[in-house]
Amino acid sequence: MRYLFFTYLTILIPVFLLGNPTFKQDRQEEITFEVNVSKEKLGVNERLRVEFTMNKDGDNFNPPNFNGFKVVMGPSQSISSSWVNGKRSFSKSYGYILTPINTGNFEIGQATIEIDGKTYKTIAKRIRITNAVANPNAPKSANDIADENLYLVAEVSKGSPYLNEAVTVLYKLYISPSVSVTNFKPLDSPKYNNFWSQDIPVKRYDTKNDTYDGKPFRSVILKRVVLYPQKEGRLTIEPLALEIYVDVPTNRRDFFGGKIFKQATKRVSAGRRTLNVKPLPEAGKPADFSGAVGDFDFAITTSKTDLNASESLQARVEVSGKGNLKLFKLPEPELPSSLEVYEPEYDEDVLTVVSGMQGKVANNYTVVPSFRGKYPIPSISFSYFNPKTKQYNTLKSDEISINVKEGPEDTNASISANAANQKLVVKTGKQFHFIKVKPKLKTIGSNYFFGSTNFYLLLLAPPLLIPLCIVLYRRRKEQEQDVVGNKVKKASRLARKYLSTAKKELGNEANFYIALEKALHNYLKAKLKIETSEFSKEKISSLLTTKKVDLTTTESFISLLENCEQARYSPFTEVQMQQDYDKASEVISKIDKQL
Amino acid sequence: MIRNILIALVLLVSTHLTAQNEVLFNRATASYNAGEYQKAIDYYKEIIDNGKHSAELYFNMGNAYYKLEEVGPSIYFYEKALLLKPNDAEILNNLGYAQNMRLDAIDQIPESAMVRFYNATIAKLSFDQWAYFAVAMVFLFVLAYIAYYLFRIAIQKRISFIISMVALLFCLAAISFAYMQYNAFKSINPAIIFDREVVITSEPNKSSERIFTLHEGTKVNVEEELNDWIKIKIADGQTGWLPKETLRLLKKF
Repeated sequence: MRYLFFTYLTILIPVFLLGNPTFKQDRQEEITFEVNVSKEKLGVNERLRVEFTMNKDGDNFNPPNFNGFKVVMGPSQSISSSWVNGKRSFSKSYGYILTPINTGNFEIGQATIEIDGKTYKTIAKRIRITNAVANPNAPKSANDIADENLYLVAEVSKGSPYLNEAVTVLYKLYISPSVSVTNFKPLDSPKYNNFWSQDIPVKRYDTKNDTYDGKPFRSVILKRVVLYPQKEGRLTIEPLALEIYVDVPTNRRDFFGGKIFKQATKRVSAGRRTLNVKPLPEAGKPADFSGAVGDFDFAITTSKTDLNASESLQARVEVSGKGNLKLFKLPEPELPSSLEVYEPEYDEDVLTVVSGMQGKVANNYTVVPSFRGKYPIPSISFSYFNPKTKQYNTLKSDEISINVKEGPEDTNASISANAANQKLVVKTGKQFHFIKVKPKLKTIGSNYFFGSTNFYLLLLAPPLLIPLCIVLYRRRKEQEQDVVGNKVKKASRLARKYLSTAKKELGNEANFYIALEKALHNYLKAKLKIETSEFSKEKISSLLTTKKVDLTTTESFISLLENCEQARYSPFTEVQMQQDYDKASEVISKIDKQL
Repeated sequence: MIRNILIALVLLVSTHLTAQNEVLFNRATASYNAGEYQKAIDYYKEIIDNGKHSAELYFNMGNAYYKLEEVGPSIYFYEKALLLKPNDAEILNNLGYAQNMRLDAIDQIPESAMVRFYNATIAKLSFDQWAYFAVAMVFLFVLAYIAYYLFRIAIQKRISFIISMVALLFCLAAISFAYMQYNAFKSINPAIIFDREVVITSEPNKSSERIFTLHEGTKVNVEEELNDWIKIKIADGQTGWLPKETLRLLKKF
């Protein structure tokens, strides 16, 4: 703009210098004061030159208010005076160069000037501003040139990603070969609302030959950002604005004919980009899905599987692969409640590259068993969504069994005193017992003793023994008190005893008859209730008679007694002994019947 | 005559079956010792199918399942063995091992002093054991009482009388304890969860709210039943419903 102005002045000054010293007002002429515009219709990107011209010098020039325009240059004065054929012509003008601000119809108002004490006004001019024209007539400013030669573009790797799928945004500056960028400064870094973002710093700005809009351009990547959308729907990425210092060639040449460059600062901004974030499909979504999107591997490992109680081991739950590694919750292992488990230590080794995050994340659990035994860690599952196959995948970890070999000697040791979460531990002995070898099988069925007939029988029958015992006892006592009865009983018992002794002694004469006699005596004692002192044959026979025993029986009894007495003095044969024994049995049974 | 033959035949068959079960049991023992736990379990199941059982049999099944790391069945059979033989030290010990494999940690409701006293005394014996004790006490009472009646010397009489009265007192106490234990036994209906993970809901249907989850091997008490759903209560006092097929009742022999 200022170039233009200077160019203008350099052209005008010689004329002015020539004309001014010879200036003289010669004759009165009609005074004119009028406005000239370069165009009455122009594009919004074109320039308008307005000149207020008078043919006599005046004072107090008052320009109109250029509403709807911006004054790019001016006012510039120019005076020309010439003599042609003795006739002097004079003109003075105030020039402005304007740029329209907006499209529409605008008016350039009246300008006033005082000439010879009189005020003159120009006529208002209507100007129509149309949309931008392709090739504005006016020579371009440095900014214009910079505009055409610099483009900042935000390149988005995916227009409609899934929720939590990585999207890369590359901010590329396209530079035309005719300009050169000296520096740039970010004005404000965009905020990525509803995104998890990670900036990947560009360490070297490498230019690359590229094309933009079909024209050769150089391109350079200024900023790289990896975004993980955290919300579904239409999400806007705010534009990035940069201030770029650029060298723009001018039309002027230096002494050696080379182009003179003019530095310009230029604001460029990449347009707003809108992403259409797709929700993850509901169909086939596993219950344990925790938001992992990508392509992963999953494993649970333990540092050791055989250990002693109160030693510790590390259980590691690890997810590795590509995807939103930092953005989901790792599945928790289900450990037996009797193990002490401490809060996990989070461990990540994630590298964010242009395509997204990759690496691994893991939770390290410290586990301390308290007692010996087997502790199985059941397999747990981890689900993720693979945006490439558009499917949910579920991975299962291996089942691990921890074998605790030796338990503490002291089973009363305090346990889980400082464990993060109180656990239920059942104390166990030192040994897991072997199976029992004796079956002791019973028929299945609830045959409980309590309430069964046997139970009541055993409970109630014994007390019945008490009265029974008492009755028996009383009976026995009564019998003890009955003296006569007892004597009789004793005698008859002795009679039987001696009779059997006699039978044994059948060959032995002396013993046989002693026994037989004793048997007979005792028999009589029992039957006739007489004492040994009273024994005499007469007494016996009379007693037997009074007891109504028939005569023959009495006689044979007496004869038996006589035989016994005789046997002491005279020998008896065995046959006689047998006869006497038979006789005794016969007589006793007979007396028994008759008494 | 025919009847006699029949009886003899039944006796023969039953003795043969007993012998067969013994053989099965011994085979199972051999398999267990050789590390073929599943085979041992199959033998034990066969014995149960023959209508025989014992605390020892269930204990051995619990051991075999423990070796196979099947938490639910292991605890289930140990608990069954305990029902037949409460307070058996070996069963309790191995049950502890199996319980340590469980995933659930359920706090017990703190016991009141009364309950603790009850558990330390009356619950030490099962109702059947109390019943046997009562019978023994009745016999002691009867003998001591008769001795009291028969003895002549004053000091002997006195001692036997005191013994008889104490025995009678013990007998009555034992009967009431047995009755209490019997009622307690009848009022609980324990079950063991067999599914890996069960969601306990607030109502007996699939659409109701989840309250908590339980894992394999946890002991629950069955309170009510509706269609295919069972209302359970766990040790910390929480209740909820779960599908019937996820657990197995302990008292079902």
